[in-house]
Amino acid sequence: MTRSKQPPSPAGGAPGTRAARGAQSLLPTTVVGSYSVPEWLERLKTEFYQRRISTAHMTEIYDMAIKAAVKDQELAGIDIVSDGELRRDNDIDYFLARFPGVHIAQRAKSDYYDYYDAEVTAPLLEDDKASLGLAADYAFTRSQTDRPVKFSFTGPFSLSRRVTNAAYGDQADLVRALARGLNAEARSLANAGAGFLQIDEPFLAGYPEQAALAVEAVNIVTDGVPATWALHVCYGNRYARPSWEGHYDFLFPAVLAARVDQLVLEFARKGPDDLRLIREYEWPSALGVGVIDVKSTSVESPELVAARIRHALEYVTPDKLMVNPDCGLRHLAPDVARGKLRAMVAGAAIVRGELGELAAPAQGGGPPGPAPAEGEPASGPAPPAPAASPPAA
Amino acid sequence: MQIDVRSVRRLRESPEVRDVFAPMIGALAGSAADLAQLRVVCDWIQYKANFREPAMARPLLAAGASDPAADSYEIAVDLRRLAASGDVPAAMTTALAQAAGGHGREASPGGDLVWLEPWVPGSGSLIWRFNALYWQALTDWEKATGKEYEQSLPGGASDARNVSAAHDLILDLFKVWDELAARRALPDELYVLELGVGNGGQARTFLDEFQALDRRHGRGYYRRLHYLMGDYSPHVLERARQEIGQHREHTSGLVLEATRLSGSVGFLAGKAFLVYISNVYDNLPTDEVASIRGRNYLVQVRSYLPVAEADAIARRFGLPREQLPPLIGRLVRIGPELLSESVPERFADTGQAVAFWQASWQALRQAERYLPLEGLDTYQVAPSVTGEILRPLLSAEGDVRMHVSNGALASFADALPLLHPFGRMVCHDLFTTTPAEYHAGFFGPGKYDGSVVNWVNGPLLQLLASRRGFGVQFSPFSQRPASHVKTLTAQVRD
Repeated sequence: MTRSKQPPSPAGGAPGTRAARGAQSLLPTTVVGSYSVPEWLERLKTEFYQRRISTAHMTEIYDMAIKAAVKDQELAGIDIVSDGELRRDNDIDYFLARFPGVHIAQRAKSDYYDYYDAEVTAPLLEDDKASLGLAADYAFTRSQTDRPVKFSFTGPFSLSRRVTNAAYGDQADLVRALARGLNAEARSLANAGAGFLQIDEPFLAGYPEQAALAVEAVNIVTDGVPATWALHVCYGNRYARPSWEGHYDFLFPAVLAARVDQLVLEFARKGPDDLRLIREYEWPSALGVGVIDVKSTSVESPELVAARIRHALEYVTPDKLMVNPDCGLRHLAPDVARGKLRAMVAGAAIVRGELGELAAPAQGGGPPGPAPAEGEPASGPAPPAPAASPPAA
Repeated sequence: MQIDVRSVRRLRESPEVRDVFAPMIGALAGSAADLAQLRVVCDWIQYKANFREPAMARPLLAAGASDPAADSYEIAVDLRRLAASGDVPAAMTTALAQAAGGHGREASPGGDLVWLEPWVPGSGSLIWRFNALYWQALTDWEKATGKEYEQSLPGGASDARNVSAAHDLILDLFKVWDELAARRALPDELYVLELGVGNGGQARTFLDEFQALDRRHGRGYYRRLHYLMGDYSPHVLERARQEIGQHREHTSGLVLEATRLSGSVGFLAGKAFLVYISNVYDNLPTDEVASIRGRNYLVQVRSYLPVAEADAIARRFGLPREQLPPLIGRLVRIGPELLSESVPERFADTGQAVAFWQASWQALRQAERYLPLEGLDTYQVAPSVTGEILRPLLSAEGDVRMHVSNGALASFADALPLLHPFGRMVCHDLFTTTPAEYHAGFFGPGKYDGSVVNWVNGPLLQLLASRRGFGVQFSPFSQRPASHVKTLTAQVRD
């Protein structure tokens, strides 16, 4: 990202900084992206992908489901909400199917969540135009809530792993081309008012030797886009199972070159061992700490969440810590997802209280937020500050 | 009238089977049944011991009704026994009379059946309590029959001692472990789980081969290996413990229910590199569902003794007929040893109680009826699976009846999360492998000695695996390629 292009904030600091936020509440809570997909919605999605429901009806169904998901998050007390990614069939195809130049021969699916077989046979068309429709997705969510909205999308490295490449001699060139397409999309999102964007790289942990390439691509995506940027790297959550195992060592030091404002990592399921890397490599920006295990159906207690946050605070200062689940909630039953979000909010409130700062009410009367992007509300909690300058590689 | 002949191979091959049809249709034509609505389903039941009469009525309940409408039933025929009976019209007339007379209603007026339970889904039936009793009191049964349970299996022996199969499995594991080790992603402890250990032959073969191959491979994997043996029967597990001998340091025995793994071996989640199951699933409780004329039904069953056989048992053991249901209920609750202790005047010793058990089991039959399913989601197939999983199979196959394989599905659903991302599950069992098979054969239930056998709905397991990110392949069972046993292999896909 090019933070220098961001508009100055009223408080004189960069958007989202503690200085800009004034008395902004510490430890804002948010989600990683996806929200619980109930069985009935899964059935309807599959019907849609089997051409038994029209696009018009499905759009209305998605709109209603997203309204409910946003409401659930608000009621749970989440500070920064998302659309739950409910319009998406999965983390890959929603993007690839819209990418000009990506060829998908068979677009009907026996189950909506299955992956397509995608292929590029010629270099992708690159014309700086957004074509994935993400700005419209964001705008709908924006219209449904007064709270800050996080908008996430899958990063170029992970997208590339699901494409058969018959166009580029070097696979890295495909990754870069996808990144440029996503950059156009991100600019469109920012123009629509999106102030908090997140790149998800769920496949990266499976290819640890390619962390540098993934980071290079992330920087292409964020380039010139005035937003607070998060990078989420996990060990996979497809079908509520990790796709990979290992440690976050592979991210470092490569990720230090990423021009993002926060890293969003999973720690609840894996345990806190890898928090040491944040200190060891002096990660300069914020950390979104995963405190909810999304692969377990047991609802954590607020005390357990608080303990996990306290542990993270041994490595990160409070002003640089955001509280979130390990990953998306899509595989959890709705009641479990709601319970986990409530526990997360309560756990964060416990620690906030211990830090001597009153937990801000979620709506009304809250401290001012960061300098909002166009369309963002001017109050309410906000993501932590981006670093004052891009971290050195 | 719709006649659904599933045993098409027998129809082609057997003149006796073909000869059944003319008298069968004659009997139907001569009856008062509404032939326009009538369905006749013709199976060829390969199990000599089973739970069916040669011809029986199966009522279809209306939604919300507890009693069937008069003409809403199907006639189910076992062509093998009907052909052998020599009097097809008589068998058909009996079945039609049962249908007309309200066979299967709570207050059966005929008095020709001794009911042993209320209407229940198949998986809740008494036959599964008999089945559990068989494994719990196997020693008593074997003592009475004079043969070990392996001799009752179709091949007369367990399939456990195949060195080359173990060899291939182990080399595959080594390959995965070498790759993970190169990425510093190999865990310290390497878990293998076997469910249903039989006599321990598989475990012994695997561990012997593992040790030998590891010695050659030189990576010290044997030292890190934990081989967990799980079985429902403490008796069987103890035999297996004896068998593994020198490998005891690397093994643990767990008494567990295959259908509830998350509690007993939940600690293995994401850690097992191999889950091995042989001939367990066919012996786990199952419901059946059916799609008939566009409507989905759950098959309900009700166990009974035909009155003539009930009277023979009663005479043999000096019991009034009405004492049979409570005594059978007691038998399956407490087992033959305690039964003989609690009713010594009828069963002088355990052997007598086992004789009562065997006679009751032999005579046991099941009536069947169809209960409408008002929404597949309301039918809980397994603790973590609703009936929605059945929709693709039921909606694609027209009129079809199939196993739900609830126990197998529950076990399978619980076992998949145990797999390490690079792990695999290998399962030998009686699987159907395509949905269409249910149009062309009978797949249980039948009786194997004192236990129940059902084929497992392979496509349903495949579907569940797919919904959970696993690919499933079926292949012939390499040890006995000509047998009905298939090998299921499940691994993470995507």
